[in-house]
Amino acid sequence: MVGHGGPVAEMITTHDLGKTYGGRAVVEGLDLRVPKGCVYGFLGPNGSGKSTTMKMLLSLVRPTTGEIRIMGRPMRRSTRRELLGHIGSLIESPPAYGHLTGRENMRLVQRLLELNDDQVVRAVHTVRLHDHLDKRVRDYSLGMKQRLGIAMALAREPRLLILDEPTNGLDPAGIDEIRRLLKQLADGGITVMVSSHLLDEIDRTATVLGILGNGRMLFQGTRDQLLARSTPDVLIDTPEPQRAAALTAQWHPTRVDGEAVRLSGLDHKGTAGVVSRLVRDGIDIYGVRRDAQSLEDVFMDLTGGRGL
Amino acid sequence: MIGRAVANEFAKMRRLRVVPVVVAMVAGVVALSCFAFTTPGFLDSVGDPSGQPWQWLLGSMSLAVPLTSPILLAVLASRQVDIEHQANGWLFSQTSGLPPGYVCRVKFVATGAVVVAATLAQSGLVFALGTLVGITVAFPAGQWLGYTASIVVVNLVLFALHLLLSARIGNQLVGLGVGVLGVFVALTSTGMPTWLARCFPPWGYYALAMPVDAREGGMVWLAPAHLSVLALGVAGGVLFMLITRLFDRQEA
Repeated sequence: MVGHGGPVAEMITTHDLGKTYGGRAVVEGLDLRVPKGCVYGFLGPNGSGKSTTMKMLLSLVRPTTGEIRIMGRPMRRSTRRELLGHIGSLIESPPAYGHLTGRENMRLVQRLLELNDDQVVRAVHTVRLHDHLDKRVRDYSLGMKQRLGIAMALAREPRLLILDEPTNGLDPAGIDEIRRLLKQLADGGITVMVSSHLLDEIDRTATVLGILGNGRMLFQGTRDQLLARSTPDVLIDTPEPQRAAALTAQWHPTRVDGEAVRLSGLDHKGTAGVVSRLVRDGIDIYGVRRDAQSLEDVFMDLTGGRGL
Repeated sequence: MIGRAVANEFAKMRRLRVVPVVVAMVAGVVALSCFAFTTPGFLDSVGDPSGQPWQWLLGSMSLAVPLTSPILLAVLASRQVDIEHQANGWLFSQTSGLPPGYVCRVKFVATGAVVVAATLAQSGLVFALGTLVGITVAFPAGQWLGYTASIVVVNLVLFALHLLLSARIGNQLVGLGVGVLGVFVALTSTGMPTWLARCFPPWGYYALAMPVDAREGGMVWLAPAHLSVLALGVAGGVLFMLITRLFDRQEA
């Protein structure tokens, strides 16, 4: 039985999770909240601690601090085996024996986890690998290996799927296929936690985002919450941008952007104040607008421009 | 769980060329042992106790085993473990509830059974061929079986050592290099005094198990150090368990 003590809204929660290697903190004070049934996009530059965190969630690495709860139960040595029975995972490279066929690899999983034929067939059909099962895995493309790895993780019919950079090395078609697969799995009620260092791979699939930088959680929430968190620059169109910039630079970070003056970190009241001051000083204003900000800009902001 | 895991290990052996390696191990020992048939006068003295035909066969086998086993056991262990390195199998097993040390123990059970079967086959086939060429003098069953049991133990300890080595060090050339070195140590040990051969476990223990040796005037029975071999087996088993338990605690 999993999830004693009533319904739990979160599939994964961590409190003050940390890992230190030789005095160097790789993950620090992490409070993850992964809601049930979502696709949780776990983003961060290479080396930000994503893989270490995922390994801690799977009890492959012992946390130095903090605790992990999965389906409401603490993940410990004593509960590990039982909880792992509900978690499918793909960490690092896809796990498959190259000298065996896809079918033989699936049979290893079936025997080890005591699965029935239907479970295996369903997993293989989900990743659309049924036509390639009799081929040796060493002859598979990388995309097929990834799909087989996901099928091996899915065969146990997990409630939680943890995938570490599943699109690494795939071509655009392969990435798109994995993306659609993740959506399909989440629609089927599986909670999917997927990591990536590439925003574009996750942006369109994830319903909740967690952004990690230097082992710390920089942001956790929905896409809209993330966009709302950042105030876009104000652009003031004027025929005298140099003069206007010289004036506004006294109060706000300013730079000239073509025929406009760009001001950062201004709220509505601040914007009104700047506009009235410019008008008072006789500078014509043709227009005032907020710059359109992409999710990527926000990420770059959060992570200090490293990698996303 | 262990039964299913062992069955999986046998399934993984498919296309790993385990059969050719085992055939080479058995055929190598049998061929080298039966080389005695070609020595002048051997076939004429198969019914003459003073010709010591069984002793000659056992003596040849005592050299053939250390000549072939160390390297072929290294190859066998390396092939079983390298697939885990290549296939990210350690991590997959761990996320299925089988820690790395457990996987090593399961591999030992599965492939160890093959090693035992091969060792028994070597001994049995040499005996069968001896009977087939018409040796009629009394068969020294005690010495023969004692030697067979001893080399089963030494082979298993050596196999366990190579399993651990291959699991710990990803580069399989290291394990194979140790295997080649092992052949040298095992053969050299047959010419060493017992106390010195004991200093090179497990390879030196092939020499301790030798029941017969060629001296001037023919073959003489030796007093094999079966107790030392047994002690090696116990110590090897305990160490293997301890080290694999450490593997279990290792972080991914």
